[in-house]
Amino acid sequence: MAERVTIRVDGVEYEVESGRTILQALDDCGVLTNEVEIPHYCWHPKLSIDGSCRLCQVEVRTEGRAEGLLQIACNTPVAGAMVIETKSEKVRAAREGVMELLLVNHPLDCPICDQAGECKLQDYAYDYGVSEARTREPRRALKKRVDLGPTVVLDQERCILCRRCVRFCREVSETGELGIFDRGERSVLETFPGVPLENDYSMNVADLCPVGALTTKDFRFKMRVWLLEDSEGICTGCSRGCNLYVGVAKNAVQRYLPRRNDAVNETWLCDAGRLSYKQVAREDRLARCRVRSPQRESGEPGELVETSVAEAVEAAAIRLRALIASRGAGVIAGVASPHASNEDLFLFKCFLDALQTEIRGLAVLHGESDRLLVEAEKGANATGARAIGFGEVGRIVERIRGGGLDGLIVLGHDLLDDAYLGGSQALSRLDTVIALDSHCSAMDRVAHVVFPVRHAVEKNATYTNSAGRVQRVRAGITPGPDVLDEGEIFSKLGRALGLTGFQAEWDVWEASRRLGREVPAFRGIDLDSAGSRGRALVGPGD
Amino acid sequence: MHRAPHITGYLTEHCEDDAYATLAGFRERGGYATAEQVLCRQSPQQVIDTLRESGLQGRGGAGFGTGQKWSFMPEREAERPHYLVCNADESEPGSFKDRLLMERAPHLLLEGILIAAFTIRAEKTFLYVRGEYGEAFRSLERAIEEARQGGVFGQRSLGSAFAHEVVLVRGAGAYICGEETALLESLEGKRGMPRLKPPYPAECGAFGMPTTVNNVETLCHVPHIVEKGVAWFRSFGTEESPGTTLFGVSGHIERPGLYELPLGTPLDEIVFEHAGGVPNGRKLKAVIPGGVSMAVLPAGQLDVPMTNEFLRERQTGLGTGGVIVMDDTTCMVRTACVISHFFRDESCGQCTQCREGTGWINRIVQRIERGGGRLEDLAILKDLCGTLEGQTVCAFADAAAWPVRALLRHFVQDFQSHIFEARCPFPGSFEL
Repeated sequence: MAERVTIRVDGVEYEVESGRTILQALDDCGVLTNEVEIPHYCWHPKLSIDGSCRLCQVEVRTEGRAEGLLQIACNTPVAGAMVIETKSEKVRAAREGVMELLLVNHPLDCPICDQAGECKLQDYAYDYGVSEARTREPRRALKKRVDLGPTVVLDQERCILCRRCVRFCREVSETGELGIFDRGERSVLETFPGVPLENDYSMNVADLCPVGALTTKDFRFKMRVWLLEDSEGICTGCSRGCNLYVGVAKNAVQRYLPRRNDAVNETWLCDAGRLSYKQVAREDRLARCRVRSPQRESGEPGELVETSVAEAVEAAAIRLRALIASRGAGVIAGVASPHASNEDLFLFKCFLDALQTEIRGLAVLHGESDRLLVEAEKGANATGARAIGFGEVGRIVERIRGGGLDGLIVLGHDLLDDAYLGGSQALSRLDTVIALDSHCSAMDRVAHVVFPVRHAVEKNATYTNSAGRVQRVRAGITPGPDVLDEGEIFSKLGRALGLTGFQAEWDVWEASRRLGREVPAFRGIDLDSAGSRGRALVGPGD
Repeated sequence: MHRAPHITGYLTEHCEDDAYATLAGFRERGGYATAEQVLCRQSPQQVIDTLRESGLQGRGGAGFGTGQKWSFMPEREAERPHYLVCNADESEPGSFKDRLLMERAPHLLLEGILIAAFTIRAEKTFLYVRGEYGEAFRSLERAIEEARQGGVFGQRSLGSAFAHEVVLVRGAGAYICGEETALLESLEGKRGMPRLKPPYPAECGAFGMPTTVNNVETLCHVPHIVEKGVAWFRSFGTEESPGTTLFGVSGHIERPGLYELPLGTPLDEIVFEHAGGVPNGRKLKAVIPGGVSMAVLPAGQLDVPMTNEFLRERQTGLGTGGVIVMDDTTCMVRTACVISHFFRDESCGQCTQCREGTGWINRIVQRIERGGGRLEDLAILKDLCGTLEGQTVCAFADAAAWPVRALLRHFVQDFQSHIFEARCPFPGSFEL
């Protein structure tokens, strides 16, 4: 445990770890940019200290010194009894000087700049700038559109040379594509010749860019940011569960931006995860319930026909009731998906319990992982599914292949992957297949009833990441009226089947509280207590 | 090189006699005897004490106490070698003293290096020579090879238990690499950009190891101080600034060249007595006392002893001792153009104020020179100098601001007449 020292910032005392710099120490306390505002460009909590923008100057008075000295907060180590002023006249004058110089050559093209509205140059110019430029010299003309690679475009005129992106590529992605070329006022950001900016995390440089110099090709010129509403979400691409902001306008997701969570993704997001928002409104997204029509006289199988939710629930209930009546619930299996939330999976578990079948498992895809964020398990909630009681699915796969099953209730379509069934063929002999899915898949060939379900950005729910962290998502957009939570579908189905405990309407908050009461790993955790940073599952020893 | 007749120029002596440039000649004249004595019989602490008592100030521009700097080096740890870096990247316009020492007295420098390296327990010295100094580089190359073969360096330097090796490195032409931490970056094969401090070189210097950086002239004083003693050294110069130094006199001057004189010699004595004053019957207008990054002094203010403590009272400094003389044909706005263009060109570009401010200052003074100035430009220039000073990673921005501020302080009428007449009123001045 490092030694603690007390520093005084604008009259307020903070106890901080010695050996940290002023900005680091305030960031550690969680007060930077909310309680204490120290403007900065080049400093970033997850990158090495550069100390070059010179905007974070504060007045520092150390013990035994009468007069305060201007020091950069990013690189000045804290010391006991240090007194720091962030709003003094001296500080203000220094910041005004820096801001004026940053704007001397800036193109001031905010009206056509994507960053306008979330631009630190705009923000600090408003705080520390003058309304009228004193420069009469021509502004530096540089390249306005440099294609850095497949994902990011650079406007060299807007660049303030903070080098965050350069440090990111050296220190985080460890790919080193970016550099500053030439020197002095001729310095420009560029890629090394023949080395485009192309790595799995390339778009983070656009988030790091405090101005509009780096923009992603995906979001460039798409939307003014002040039209966006941000809701807190998580990425469902893999079991890391990276925290993100879902940028919503016109009831559609416009972009994902990483949301800082030091316990999960720091401040990063992989490019695949960032672009995965496109799944939400993809063409193959399911919007209506479908029920298979009866077999034709010719012997051809029936087709899936769109129905109301009530009709689909009724059709599913009729099939399940008939199956249970003829062969008992022991021939019905439930297969969970890591894309479903803790609350939905809990309802699924309750439903299977009430049906009195023990056959259940989790089908989850595996893929590539990397040393930074990407995990091999594809899906946000495999850990939650296991904690709720969905184990290996291998036994079910064997029983499907061996003819020992007649009914299947399946979430998602990972079960059709080569790792499990290798296609839908094996399911075609089943008496009843009820599928709940967000997107079209080969499951449509064999399912008898298909319910469309919500994407994480359309839900209030929690997901448990690979490290056992229960994380909250908030509904940012409203899906079509027939697109429901899996929990709601099971709730309706349970009621239609007259199962015990399924009298009440679906209420995700109630499901969440019951989960906390009934599943020991979730003890004391619910939608509200998960907070925006998540909470760890309760371990067996806790 | 000129020697003032009434003093013994102990550095000059080495430069005037060709024999000092060879190992044999240097040894015949007593060279390396002091180092040998130190390496075999003294402790590092004894050398530090001597240097402290001598009051030797670094001759690279900052004037930091050499003994004190050496004392900052930590205890030697097994896995952390110490390095000495000799800053021979002399690039201050107006300064050319180290060049002559390297060309003419390479062994004197090497002896100084050996004593310094022993004192800070360094196993290796990196001698970083300005890229443009071809002759100095070759002279050092020859001398190092000779010294190595002659047993001066190696596993048993000068027969002692001290192992040392000197690595000669050639710079690539950036002024900023004379800043000690930019030099270290360049030495490591990186872009020459000054490092953020802390940590300082004594803690984390070349290749992350404890390092001391000393200027060429500074190290050349060391063998003399150790050999002849503190009292002898202090017989030159002032109480605060002892010893002699090499003043490089250039510009509108009768006898340009290097002058070894005691610190504290009055500036007017240097300009008028030693260097012969302004030629062609012209009058003196101004003198920059210590290389272009120091503030200019008008003709009437030359009655000042050349030490930092006295020059500070006139809001300037000794810098690297480069005395630049300007006669009355000189346009001070053009002077500002030349100096600010240099700094605009040489800024490394990492700090906002320096990167943007040096360019803006230069563009304003150029516009004034062309006749497009406005009175408010002078206020902007002053503000900009204030924004640049003391707020950046290294002292480059200060060096860029001080000369402009001083030109405005002493020669504001030159700027005003440009603005009022909308042209340069000094047609006879040097061409831009």
